[in-house]
Amino acid sequence: MSPAPLMRLAARSAWARRLTLGVTLVAIMLSTALLLCVERVRADARQSFTQSVSGVDLVVGARTGSVQLMLYAVFHAGAASNNIDWKSFEILATHPAVDWALPLSLGDSHRGFAVLGTTPEYFKRFSYGEHQALAFRAGAPFAKVFDTVIGSEAAAKLGYKLGDKITLSHGIGSANLQEHGDKPFQVVGILEPTGTPVDRTIHVSLEAITALHLDWFAGAPVKGVSIPQDLVSKFDLKPKEITAALVGLKRRSDVFRMQRFVNEFRGEPLLGVLPGVALDELWQTIGLVERTLFAVSVLVIIVGLAGLVATMLASLNERRRELAILRALGAGPADIFLMLAAEGLLVTTLGAALGAAMLTVVSAVFAPWLLEHLGVLLVPRLLSVAELYLLCGVIITGMLASLVPGWRAWRMSLADGLTPRS
Amino acid sequence: MKIIRILGFAAALLSPLALAAPAHVHGAAKLDISVDGDKLTIAMEMPLDSTLGFERPARTDTEKLAFANAMTTLKNAAEIFTPSAAAACRVASVEVSDPFPGGKAKADGHADIDADYIFRCAKPAALNSVTTSLFKQFKRLHKIDVQRATPNGQGKASMTPEQPSVSW
Repeated sequence: MSPAPLMRLAARSAWARRLTLGVTLVAIMLSTALLLCVERVRADARQSFTQSVSGVDLVVGARTGSVQLMLYAVFHAGAASNNIDWKSFEILATHPAVDWALPLSLGDSHRGFAVLGTTPEYFKRFSYGEHQALAFRAGAPFAKVFDTVIGSEAAAKLGYKLGDKITLSHGIGSANLQEHGDKPFQVVGILEPTGTPVDRTIHVSLEAITALHLDWFAGAPVKGVSIPQDLVSKFDLKPKEITAALVGLKRRSDVFRMQRFVNEFRGEPLLGVLPGVALDELWQTIGLVERTLFAVSVLVIIVGLAGLVATMLASLNERRRELAILRALGAGPADIFLMLAAEGLLVTTLGAALGAAMLTVVSAVFAPWLLEHLGVLLVPRLLSVAELYLLCGVIITGMLASLVPGWRAWRMSLADGLTPRS
Repeated sequence: MKIIRILGFAAALLSPLALAAPAHVHGAAKLDISVDGDKLTIAMEMPLDSTLGFERPARTDTEKLAFANAMTTLKNAAEIFTPSAAAACRVASVEVSDPFPGGKAKADGHADIDADYIFRCAKPAALNSVTTSLFKQFKRLHKIDVQRATPNGQGKASMTPEQPSVSW
């Protein structure tokens, strides 16, 4: 029999058994989607972490774990164990090997977005991805104490535009935070999207962080004391301490010497980490989890395909007569084999395709959550090369698995089908 | 009272941090590899135990010979480190520190060998790996933690007797 009518027959026969095959199809779809989701989150997590910082030779903070320091200073996730003294920062920034140093002061927030106190130089020096500099969609870096520059996503979510007034909160979270209500900020700049934590950051000057807490004592505003906004410039707004610093060096080969200088700093216990090294450490730590997740999702695929084989083998019994009639009408054993293999291939391919479609839906639904809670940016796309390979792997495995029922059908004799023993 | 308890707890937690000395683990060395222009710098820190099996000035003639041999090996940069062949790197300078300045043992009983190796490479663009023979020379060495800063980024890796190289 020629292939075309054979395939038509296979399709019609499958349609006649659509309920059982449909359930198998759903199993394959779900397992494929799971496998692809694990792969996508893994790949995109690495990508977005790696993209977030570029051109920084050293991240300096109080002594803690290197991964923790990275997460805090660059991704604004977790908490710093200690601050570093401004004097230490000044010594660091004037070290002959240092090209530039950006102070970072964290801890305040604005409606769920992290507030970063830094210098205007930040907008010139900070880069992400492949050495891409920050760009302004509107406005310019802050010049006055109560100016603020906001990231693209913060601007879009909160609907801010240039000239808007905003107030910051002390601490992070959303409930019961002390407001810095007496000292509003004016939005003077909005950044272009970068796909990094910068998008979710409210940038203010270091002086502003000091000014906000001028009339505060022991973590709360002093009752009855309020320094009006226009008078803060009369105070010394030089910061006393900062959370961390990003350092760029004149020569790359100085980085290890500088790291030792920081780690053996006399004034206070400091830690200097190479961002790339800290990220590799992070991958080594979570690599095991990744591999476990991947292994589990591969097992789920195997379970799904085993279900397909079981369904098809079970169907052979109901289809004894159907297959025997086909044989009687002139179909050779090879035709029967092909028909069965085609059915397996059809179900697997359909399941895999639906799984890929489901991945697109699921990643679109969960992307905002992942971004907000883990700082992982899922890039919207159809399928990456690695995902395509996985998909092909699923289809090939499914095809191989459906050879088993095909082989069984091949061996079933004509007589067996036409003279049922039951 | 409560505040004092908390402060005491915090102090107890912080004190080891304030006194922290660089780690010293027998069997594990550290390499810092940087590539800048045509210059490949390899800075090594290795516990003396991993080369000799003891961490005090050599006493017997056998020990003295072992120490001298170890120092000779460590000074032979071309022998112990092989950068990518295509990069055509040549040894420019080697500096191996004396673990016992003045012939005295260290107060904490531990000693490290610090060494700096500088190579100049004719084709630095082709430089993407370094292989070591340290594991063959020093059987007590089991692992080397490598930090690297190269033109394509920074990274961390390990060298082991089974995998005695890093690439980027």
